[in-house]
Amino acid sequence: MDTTAHAPLLAKAQPTVAKRPWLFTRPTAKTGLVSWLTTVDHKRVGLLYGFSALFFFLVGGVEALFIRIQLAVPNNTFLQHQTYNELFTMHATTMIFLAVMPLSAAFFNYIMPLQIGARDVAFPRLNGFAFWVFLAGAIILNVGWFIKSGVPDSGWFGYAPLTSNAYSNQFVGDISTDLWVMGLQVLGVSSVIGSLNFIVTIINLRAPGMTMMRLPVFTWMTLITAFLIILSFPAITIALVELMMDRHFGTNFFEVSNGGLPILWQHLFWVFGHPEVYILILPAMGIISEILPTFSRKPLFGYPIVVFSGACIGFLGFGVWSHHMFTTGMGTVSTAAFSLMTMAIAVPTGVKVFNWIGTLWNGHLQMRTPMMFALGFIWMFTVGGFSGIMHSAAPADAQQQDSYFVVAHFHYVLIGGSVFALLAGIHYWFPLVFGRKVSEFWGKLSFWVIFVGFNTTFFPMHFLGLNGMPRRTAVYDGNMGWNTPNFIATIGAFILGIGIAIYFTVMIYTYFKGVKVGRDPWDARTLEWALPNPPPEYNFAVTPSVQARDAFWFDKHDREQETPGKIQHAHTESAHGGIHMPSQSWFPILTAGGMLIGSLFLADHNYLGAICGGALTLLGAYLWALEGPGGYHVHPEAELKPTANSSGTAKH
Amino acid sequence: MSSHAATIDHHHDVTTSTGIPNKKLFMWAFLASDCMFFGALISTHLIYRLHPPPGSPSPQKIFSIELTSFSTFILLMSSLLMALAVNAIQKSHIKSTRHNLLGTIFFGLIFLGCQVYEFTHFVHEKGLTLSNSLFGSTFYTLTGTHGCHVAIGVLWLILMYIRSFKPADAEAGRPWLAVAFFHFLTFVVTIVAGMATVLGYFHARQLHEPLGQFVGQNLLAVGTSIVGLAILAFLGRSRVPVEFGEANAIDVESMGLYWHFVDIVWIVIFTAVYLLEYL
Amino acid sequence: MDANTDTPAANSGHAHSKFHTFVQIAMILSVITGIEIVLVYLPFAKWLIISTLVILSAVKFLFVIFYFMHLRWDKVFCTILFFIGLVLALGTVAALLALFGADASQPLTSQITQAHASASLVG
Repeated sequence: MDTTAHAPLLAKAQPTVAKRPWLFTRPTAKTGLVSWLTTVDHKRVGLLYGFSALFFFLVGGVEALFIRIQLAVPNNTFLQHQTYNELFTMHATTMIFLAVMPLSAAFFNYIMPLQIGARDVAFPRLNGFAFWVFLAGAIILNVGWFIKSGVPDSGWFGYAPLTSNAYSNQFVGDISTDLWVMGLQVLGVSSVIGSLNFIVTIINLRAPGMTMMRLPVFTWMTLITAFLIILSFPAITIALVELMMDRHFGTNFFEVSNGGLPILWQHLFWVFGHPEVYILILPAMGIISEILPTFSRKPLFGYPIVVFSGACIGFLGFGVWSHHMFTTGMGTVSTAAFSLMTMAIAVPTGVKVFNWIGTLWNGHLQMRTPMMFALGFIWMFTVGGFSGIMHSAAPADAQQQDSYFVVAHFHYVLIGGSVFALLAGIHYWFPLVFGRKVSEFWGKLSFWVIFVGFNTTFFPMHFLGLNGMPRRTAVYDGNMGWNTPNFIATIGAFILGIGIAIYFTVMIYTYFKGVKVGRDPWDARTLEWALPNPPPEYNFAVTPSVQARDAFWFDKHDREQETPGKIQHAHTESAHGGIHMPSQSWFPILTAGGMLIGSLFLADHNYLGAICGGALTLLGAYLWALEGPGGYHVHPEAELKPTANSSGTAKH
Repeated sequence: MSSHAATIDHHHDVTTSTGIPNKKLFMWAFLASDCMFFGALISTHLIYRLHPPPGSPSPQKIFSIELTSFSTFILLMSSLLMALAVNAIQKSHIKSTRHNLLGTIFFGLIFLGCQVYEFTHFVHEKGLTLSNSLFGSTFYTLTGTHGCHVAIGVLWLILMYIRSFKPADAEAGRPWLAVAFFHFLTFVVTIVAGMATVLGYFHARQLHEPLGQFVGQNLLAVGTSIVGLAILAFLGRSRVPVEFGEANAIDVESMGLYWHFVDIVWIVIFTAVYLLEYL
Repeated sequence: MDANTDTPAANSGHAHSKFHTFVQIAMILSVITGIEIVLVYLPFAKWLIISTLVILSAVKFLFVIFYFMHLRWDKVFCTILFFIGLVLALGTVAALLALFGADASQPLTSQITQAHASASLVG
């Protein structure tokens, strides 16, 4: 009997709602602002992440356009150099931490529990908390736009000693770098907490019969990404702590005059930074691994190998960080070791590409919009992989490091890879989440404009890099031979901008007025498509009983009647009084609010305020614990079909 | 003390796919993450000990290995008491659980007190500060971060201890939240006053002050400590039936995992930061 | 307290002896700590003492995680999960120390670099 989950409530024989302190009254609003602020529903949390991410994606895009305007012609005076530095710092920080990561989190939150047949994540309130903390981090990073200090300007990787007080403070009391430090710390808390939740969910909350090797690949990639996050973020946490100690308390971690070694910052940062790029790409690979089989009308080729390769990439990703530091003089042995490891990591990546091709091979291809983005992903990501392999040869990298070649490489893997896949995922799952399908014409048009614009912008940068143009410089001279490619790149950036604008417009239009579709419009393979669109609050009326990989496909094509397992689940749940749902709560957002206040004060060197914020956070967490899990029951009788075999109740 | 008909199997949770309770899995994953966290800090310290810059202080001349050995032993004993507390709550022995929790808190506070004493001694008598040397920076940051983890653990233990007094019958009369808050406040005040008393006493002993003179000069701290302890003893004697038992063992166990982890990190720090300097 | 109706036999059996196990292990841990402290003052080769200290610390570490933290009696996945983090952390620490220990990474003010510099001046 699963009374353990309800045991703390056993002592209260009667409902004690009237006797609970008002402080612990659970909000029950199902619509309106309060319902969003206190939500514990993974689908709503996913939507919150998604909308925030898309907003910041546009912000990051505008920052990029400003950069490209400045670089369109040599010796441009469109931007002051200080502003330029702020823009490339914020463009990267925004795109990585406030756009791609939360957009991946949106999919993790919405889709993953549905794919494993769960009703929610393991810790629903903690899930909401992770989102509000993310929002706090986003605010801290961007508050600089509104104050004298300005936004951070030392690059998204904040190399020491540039980030020290001596070099980064434009005036006494300049807290832009402190805001960067606190913003990233807070975002780190959000990511780690969210990932811990996902790990427990995937390991522990799978529907019966859903063994690990029957999990959809997207769920596997969610799991591996979550491991990468919890194991890599501590390194940057410590690096940021050390930087903060230097800036606030005069410690000597990166203070050369007292024996500090700035290179230590680079090591600690990249111990995080390299797994971070796999954090950015693995969810994308997961999405592609769902889309290709659906639109090839074939199962994924080599499922075990694809999963194993993903795990290999994750693990090996911790052993290659110094390939970002080939030109720092580490010595022959170290450089060679990291060079070899970096070449090795290309193997599992390539294996995945071949398996995707194998999926397409002899498939009955349906060239819908998600498929276009997915095919674009395979091609563009592979191009990015080629430039990556070129970097892995340390001697070649000696010329390429800090040049536009690197910029070309990572934009190919990040836009051509991550962004294409995320845009594909939005198209793919739009019918499930919103019940409407995007028009094929406009979807494909947005794809082609994006594709053309993206390549026009970034392909020339390979040549700019090989011809010596350095990164992060606000101006370049007119006689270096860089003029034409830069101009072309700027044109491309605007085409890309138009493509994104078309994409967003189409999405917004479809949300309000798009063609409504019934269930499972793509004839897909995984469990989330078994649900009505949009899915009800409790997800599955009856917990599914999984028989095979591609569980939904199996349900549709290989079985005629409900399994005894599913009938059993229906009986068990109604015997317990219906489906048990988690209650909403105010404490996640209140606790996150405490963190926001404390962090802002801390960035401003106001330690009393920081302590107050910290106390608020602790108070929120404590009351959250005292509030208890709560919970209520729902009875989706309308969904339950009459069962064929109703003799006796099965005991498990 | 209530033992329900369905005894909880503390080794297997049927509601999960693996049988591991969610909170336990969560805590183990978090501890895996915390390994990387302390790994990075310890790396920083060890890297900077590889080639100390000229003019670096000599740790051998600064450390007091007796004090550190004593605090290591104290933390080990606190770990034992924590394990016994978890053991007790899994058998629904509430009183034993409370005693072991208090013991863990007490030993944890001794550890923290030793660390405060050590830091003050190093700053004032040995001239080692956070900013005047690289060694100072790495040493205080590493051991200080560990100390913060201990302090968070002590806070959690205190809150768990207070939680064990939540009345089973919600309409017992007194509003429980207010009592709990008062209980917590008493702990905080007693700890602060107690620390001030004990640390002040040891400092006075160093200066060879007689006990009477010390007590006379620190009447407020001494008095507050004694009154605080008396209130805590009174509150601890409560016999009201509580809503705390075997079902809460998972929470105590998760807290125990955190506390033990803090102990094993200290095992590594004691060797890597202190003992290695004596070679 | 009914230990015989629903509780699995193995559980009740070792539950009673766990108290003694814990106390015994605490004794062992104290003794090992004592040995470690004495060891640093003994006139053995540095590499020998360091290796022994590392091994003794590892033994204490493993005792705490397998007994106090209960991994010995829990599902093996908990052990795997923790060891992923532990092994990765150890590997990262080792790699960083190797990187900073390499000749090319010596700070300019270190004795090794200065010895090289003065040697090249003379020769």
